[in-house]
Amino acid sequence: AQQAFSDRPRAGKRKDWTKLIYMSSLSPAEILRGNVAQSGKSQSTQFAGDEDFFTVVSRDSADKEELDVTKDALKADELEEWGDEDLLDSIRNLFITGSSAPAGEGV
Amino acid sequence: MAQSTAVLHFSGHQWLRNRLVLSIISGKPVKVDKIRPDDKNPGLRDYEVSLLRLLERITNGTIIEISVTGTAILLKPGVIAGGPVLHDCPTSRSIGYFLEPVIMLAPFSKKPLQLTLRGITSDDQDLSVDLIRTVTLPHLQLFGVSDGLELRIKKRGSPPLGGGEVQFLCPVVKQVKTLNFVERGKVKRIRGISHAVRVNPQFSNRMIEASRSVLNRYIPDIYLYSDVYKGEDSGKSPGYGLSILAESTTGAMHCAEALSQPGVAPEDTALLASRALLAEVRRGGCIDRQHQVFVLLMMVLGSEDVGRCLMGEPTPRTIQFLRDVQTCFGTTFKVTPVESDDASGPELIFACLGIGYVNANRSLA
Repeated sequence: AQQAFSDRPRAGKRKDWTKLIYMSSLSPAEILRGNVAQSGKSQSTQFAGDEDFFTVVSRDSADKEELDVTKDALKADELEEWGDEDLLDSIRNLFITGSSAPAGEGV
Repeated sequence: MAQSTAVLHFSGHQWLRNRLVLSIISGKPVKVDKIRPDDKNPGLRDYEVSLLRLLERITNGTIIEISVTGTAILLKPGVIAGGPVLHDCPTSRSIGYFLEPVIMLAPFSKKPLQLTLRGITSDDQDLSVDLIRTVTLPHLQLFGVSDGLELRIKKRGSPPLGGGEVQFLCPVVKQVKTLNFVERGKVKRIRGISHAVRVNPQFSNRMIEASRSVLNRYIPDIYLYSDVYKGEDSGKSPGYGLSILAESTTGAMHCAEALSQPGVAPEDTALLASRALLAEVRRGGCIDRQHQVFVLLMMVLGSEDVGRCLMGEPTPRTIQFLRDVQTCFGTTFKVTPVESDDASGPELIFACLGIGYVNANRSLA
């Protein structure tokens, strides 16, 4: 799941954030993962079972407790991509020395 | 839906801090149940109880009821009192865990808050005191909280034993300003603090050098300060770390940090922090991920005017917070994507109408 998130969902799908945040029952992680169709299905099976006396306790997140943390853990292997020269150069225009900077502020 | 009833009702141990903050600011009682009901060790953790104690101390008249099993709490907020407060944080979480919610509340207290916190000054779960001082506090200034705002790092304390001490001073405001921050600008300078306690002070310089090797290619204006604490002021455990921030021409700040791990060289720690900073800059927006919640809360509380802010993709914490804000204040944000230049991630404009929150606690001068 974490991986899917980090893949940076650049794929054309425009998300309607306002709708996703306020008008869906998806968990925040599901919204970011963007698997709208999938989780919709699991929702419906859950509701179907509501009539029964016994309900199956979902064990999705039971393995490791999610802490209330502010910072995401740094993943060294994910940040490894920044060893790549092309990637380093690709964000150059976010700095004042970048090419699209106004004249006079160049390198 | 939940606005009809006076009591805010939430479930689960996640997002506890934000929910307590919303309750205290709005003055609405909050009930949180199902706190780790299926856990081997059910109920509240020691740091959560400690946080409740701290909130009790900075307020006056707050009533906290914890169920016998610890899996449910009811908090009836009193007024935010402020004044001098001392709190010892357990070593299970860093000072940042406790300070972050307090910073959201402090501007609305009756008297200026002078809070002394003791414990771990930086760990890898919450913002370190360095980032709070250099990044979070300037964010408060965006909303007109500035005179006398200060965080003093008196002693540092690394995990596991801590032993650090910080003092947080916060002025009182009547109302926060409406934010209009949609120009990201370009990164013009990078600042950082490299700290080392109870290890070879040279580690700090080695981190600075390694970080420069990555960042120097972008801009020359890089100043990384080596902050070495010695003797009594260096806490009980050895440790070191690098906290860096990038500031843009419009004042947008992005930050990242990495702390010492067993068996990892200072150079690698610094490399991690530097790369994380680049990743953070690439995510775009005027506010970095760690401060989204904070800024959104202040926008909600702003005067009755439309506040706008450009941010990168929201974090799970942010999304949940937006929902909790709707439950608590009935405020919804309008989130519109903007076309951004290719290099950065998706950017969104968050806009909302402030509720015109007025600090009724403030004693009249």
